[in-house]
Amino acid sequence: MDTDRKPETLMARYQAGDFTAVTALVESIGPQLHRFFMTQCASRSDADDLLQDTWLRIHRVRHTYRPGEPVLPWFYAIARRVRIDYYRKASRTTARERRLEDVSNVAAALPREEAHVDDLEMLLAPLSESQREVLRMMKVAGMSLEEVARATASSVGSVKQKVHRAYRTLRESMNAMRTKQGPSRVLP
Amino acid sequence: MTEEQVDEVLQKAAAAAPQVDPALLKRIAESLNSSLRPVRPLPPTWVLTAGLAVICTTVAAAAAARAGFYGLEKLSLLERLAIFSTLGILVWVAGTQFVGRLIPASRRQLTASTFLIISIVALLGVFALVFRDYRTDHFIAAGIVCLLTGLLMAIPAALLSWALLRRGFALNPVAAGLVGGALAGLSGVTMLELHCANFQTLHVLVWHTAVVPVSAAAGALVGYVLRRYSTPT
Repeated sequence: MDTDRKPETLMARYQAGDFTAVTALVESIGPQLHRFFMTQCASRSDADDLLQDTWLRIHRVRHTYRPGEPVLPWFYAIARRVRIDYYRKASRTTARERRLEDVSNVAAALPREEAHVDDLEMLLAPLSESQREVLRMMKVAGMSLEEVARATASSVGSVKQKVHRAYRTLRESMNAMRTKQGPSRVLP
Repeated sequence: MTEEQVDEVLQKAAAAAPQVDPALLKRIAESLNSSLRPVRPLPPTWVLTAGLAVICTTVAAAAAARAGFYGLEKLSLLERLAIFSTLGILVWVAGTQFVGRLIPASRRQLTASTFLIISIVALLGVFALVFRDYRTDHFIAAGIVCLLTGLLMAIPAALLSWALLRRGFALNPVAAGLVGGALAGLSGVTMLELHCANFQTLHVLVWHTAVVPVSAAAGALVGYVLRRYSTPT
């Protein structure tokens, strides 16, 4: 990658107040983060909101990025937290609304406009949420084990273990799918 | 199916990403640009930790100087060494933990609750070793005075620490508040060890140590309130 277009370089220029760096950074990291939110049972409008909130938070704490450090874990740690806060607030609001309206049968705890399930999510469905999160970061964002460990505030060993278990589950489920559908069926 | 094949399937699925609306990205970039100004990156962790340690020590020493160093005068050299080196180490560890919570994706840390438990156990251990007077005269009355004094000293330490690290804590303000509160509580305990001449084992074990968890709980509560009322979504 061109050094000037590297996210770490762009981030350092963003801290220095460079307008072009902000635009370039939003354009390069924004789609990844949007995808990160889209794959977690949120509707497109929820993902849009989460993306905007994430950038606002990034903007507020941009001084906490240390030049030279990998920037993706820094972005994802914030994105992860924004998502947690969003779901916490959403579940609180839902609970309050439920009390007010005295609804006896609520289908879903969280708002969901459209069921967005793409190929990757379909594949990751048999995994636990933490395993899915780790694989998304590695496959969608292309992060290393060390970077995922930093983004999720866990150890490299624990990430490795999650990946190992996830691959074992996926192998089993894909083999089962193949057996069911026959050898000619190609997986997504 | 081999691991490589699974990997290939995942890569292919991940590549088929849904598109994000370019107008949204443009809007975000414009909104960030409208309030863009240069910022100075944070100094190294050890500098911030040293700043926090100086704040906590200064607050404790200043308060003890005003109230009198009766505790310090009564302690032997070995006891001083055991107590204040433990407190020094705990303040340094609390400082690095607090700074770590300011920076997203910083290297792996202890969880806030683990740190709190370690601090309490370390304090109980050193106090149990040093103080061997098992009487319990005026246990409640004297204890409450010490607890309140320690907590009172924790307040300026917490405010100054917060001022040093302001404009951060994008991740978990509750955990940050808990660690920050524990750090401030350690400043309160340091002040008590310098000042309090009541060396009854139970008094020190219960009331002096209690400053740390109570202060940590107060910090966590502040973090909770901040999170509850500042989340933009």
